Amino acid sequence: MARRWWTFPLLLVSALAPSFSLADLAFENTAIVRTIELGGSLVHVSTTYAVKALEPGQSTYQIAISKDERAKTSWLEVKVKGRTTPLELSEDESSTEHLLSVSLPKALGVNGTLNLVLETVQTHATHPFPEQATQKEPQLLKYTTDLFTSSPYTTLVQRTKIKSLAPNVISYTTPHDVDSFARDGTVTRSGGTITYGPYHDTQTDADFMAKYQQPISVHYSFDHPVLEIETLRRTAEISHWGSNLNIEDKIHLHNAGPALKGHFSRLEYQSQNYHRKQSPHILSDFALHLPPGVTNAYFYDQNGNVSTSHLRAAPSVAKGSKAIQYSVLELRPRYPVLGGWNYSYTIGFDTPLQDSVGYDAKNGVYMVGVPVMTNIAGTVVNDAEVKIILPEGATYVEFVSPFPALSSSMSTHISYLDTTGRPAVTFTYKDLTYKHTGIIYVSYQVPLSAHLKKAMSVGAAFFSLFAFAFMARRVDLKLHKK
Amino acid sequence: MDNYEAIQALHKSLPPFAPYVPASLLPSIALILLASTFALTFYFSTLPKDTFPLRETAVASLASVLGGFGVVALFCSVGVNV
Repeated sequence: MARRWWTFPLLLVSALAPSFSLADLAFENTAIVRTIELGGSLVHVSTTYAVKALEPGQSTYQIAISKDERAKTSWLEVKVKGRTTPLELSEDESSTEHLLSVSLPKALGVNGTLNLVLETVQTHATHPFPEQATQKEPQLLKYTTDLFTSSPYTTLVQRTKIKSLAPNVISYTTPHDVDSFARDGTVTRSGGTITYGPYHDTQTDADFMAKYQQPISVHYSFDHPVLEIETLRRTAEISHWGSNLNIEDKIHLHNAGPALKGHFSRLEYQSQNYHRKQSPHILSDFALHLPPGVTNAYFYDQNGNVSTSHLRAAPSVAKGSKAIQYSVLELRPRYPVLGGWNYSYTIGFDTPLQDSVGYDAKNGVYMVGVPVMTNIAGTVVNDAEVKIILPEGATYVEFVSPFPALSSSMSTHISYLDTTGRPAVTFTYKDLTYKHTGIIYVSYQVPLSAHLKKAMSVGAAFFSLFAFAFMARRVDLKLHKK
Repeated sequence: MDNYEAIQALHKSLPPFAPYVPASLLPSIALILLASTFALTFYFSTLPKDTFPLRETAVASLASVLGGFGVVALFCSVGVNV
């Protein structure tokens, strides 16, 4: 009886709900914990939502990400905490934020709880501050994010933990005007971890955000070089006659740490090496993990071959089986790459074709798997192009990329002993990280006649020489008649 | 995503690629074929000039075919995998 008088007004209000900034009533977040692991060019953010359903039969949960953060995010995945399979997502963009609609594995009943984990990798999220540093100075970076994690549902408790690898954090912002939400202090620091929160009873609608949302930044020291690969051009060439897959990477590497102030002192560099206390923003060498069975590796730059490299090849494993051991290629650039400096180089290697290509004899279809990139630890690839060159005469080409590409196209590539050229599939990507080392699969068919075309075209060239000789023998070039 | 995983499983299950000619034999094959091409070319140069060049055409065709395969094998054995 007591509920009756406000039932009708409530119905009216809920019918008008889209025009009010009311929180969605289907779920309630018991807790949101956002953990930010600071890096150089990559920042790993993991947000755990402890969700409680308030209405029955809920099978979609919505996660909100601000537009700035979505622009910085190059990889994201939502999983149930403790499980490994990612959940299905669909993304929507509103005027203020991005909404991810996550399909829950099972519909939740009223008061059903679930822990969801949103993992993202952000790129270009940190910047060196100060922007210039001498050879001896430490490398300091700054990371900025928003204080509150937004969600379309009411949140009982939320906190943000920012972790730096090195324990010395130079400074961090203290939030203002949020004392009404905090019970034990708005921010605390313990070594390299800064905790903002816990903040209670936050309902992050537009009014709340306008009043309380503020940027927080952390100024920290980072002990490894901040590397960006500005462009990556990968070419994978398949040869059926040579039974070989050649992969070549043309890389423009950039040290995105603080720019070098003053000049480079070779003496200082050597003495740092000797005392094993190298400055964190100098890149002197790095290692690549190549597939097993690598042969004929080469490393050159514009000046020529770079001999300061070492390959430890691992024995080849059969196609499809898990590699026990990767080949390690240690590379030392021609010069140490200091902050703001660039280094462009080309590396390439051959792998036996039977490790990457499978053949379906019944349909005459070949299928090749080519990795998108070889990761260099802690780097982001700004712009990548992967070109897979198929044998001459390949038809019925179909391809699939492990994650959405910016564009994909087919073209013709002309190489040695080609008559009509080889079909090539090109994919372009941007902002690739260590999470993007998937495999592109391409299937194609090459009839026997296409295989023989190569030998026959060389044979035709030989035959034309014989035809010329045939005619030349019969031409009399004597000057005097006998 | 399911589609990608299905393709990945298919790729894993297919038998590995096997070339028509094993790659380790290519240098020997290149040598034999190119040597035969050279010998046949020499023989071609000693043939008499007939009105109906049956023999000349036959020798020239055989030498061209062997030369064609020989050059492809040569390219592969020196590292230019064509």
